[in-house]
Amino acid sequence: MALSLSAAITTRYATTVRPCPSSSPKSKLSHFSSLQLPSELRNFRSQHVKSRLRRRTFALVASKNQTFSSFDELLEKSDKPVLVDFYATWCGPCQFMVPVLEQVSASLIDKIQVVKIDTEKYPAIADKYQIQALPTFILFKDGKPFDRFLLHERQNPRIKLLALEGAMGADQLIERVEASLQVKQ
Amino acid sequence: MRALQASTSYSAGLGISSVAAPPSRPRRRLGAVAKVEPTEKSIEIMRKFSEQYARKSDTYFCVDKGVTSVVIKGLAEHRDTLGAPLCPCRHYDDKAAEAQQGFWNCPCVPMRERKECHCMLFLTPDNDFTGQEQAITMEEIRETTANM
Repeated sequence: MALSLSAAITTRYATTVRPCPSSSPKSKLSHFSSLQLPSELRNFRSQHVKSRLRRRTFALVASKNQTFSSFDELLEKSDKPVLVDFYATWCGPCQFMVPVLEQVSASLIDKIQVVKIDTEKYPAIADKYQIQALPTFILFKDGKPFDRFLLHERQNPRIKLLALEGAMGADQLIERVEASLQVKQ
Repeated sequence: MRALQASTSYSAGLGISSVAAPPSRPRRRLGAVAKVEPTEKSIEIMRKFSEQYARKSDTYFCVDKGVTSVVIKGLAEHRDTLGAPLCPCRHYDDKAAEAQQGFWNCPCVPMRERKECHCMLFLTPDNDFTGQEQAITMEEIRETTANM
């Protein structure tokens, strides 16, 4: 099976954490917007950290220049369901999902907002939602967890993974999200 | 007990019951976001371990070596900070306690018992993402994680 994943994926192993110049001690969250896509990522990767920002908690600026004082506020203020990706920096499958999530975010821009949470920077949030395996995806509706799934169905890596080759992986995730949103309507 | 053997085979002298201090300061790359990079030594140790364990368990690395590299670095980072290579693809209440307990120390119990590697580090031949290789070089690790 010939897959040309490597080229596309290796250029996208970029963290979504972007330090804010006017950081405050409160934890803030990054909002990953689908409008950003490649050019945004390029700018993003070339930013350098000022030395004073090197501390444990960062204030993150949303890519649309919105800041949130808490995850709850983000959920509250969202007018659309929010798909949250709980990840960790050194989790391989989480990084694998980065380009897939971008596509999903772009395709479903009218329907959902995509947010990524670094479970090592925000352990309290991860604890609150009892995150264990990474990545875990939770779809929030009206501020509450509505649906929840892992990358692997039934947590067994032998069963088809949610993300296949690039575009197909995005399609599957899109299908999953749309099916979920339609269920209780 | 197998976990104990696994950890002492590559971390000479480090018992699973003691959490060692990091052997050396993690190197930071110039201009990088302040994310801690694992030490070269730990990466090399986990790289070797991954190759040996893949051969031993008849599993293969992911078609996308970037995934393999990220996980190896994650294992190395935990080895540095916790004294044991705790699985990097999980969220924990208390990492130090988990590292001491051992269930999720690589190779974790699910892997040892059922060849289930959620990290996509060790993949069974029937997996969609399984590549052909059981080897990975330091160069590959460096290249595929260069943008992080």
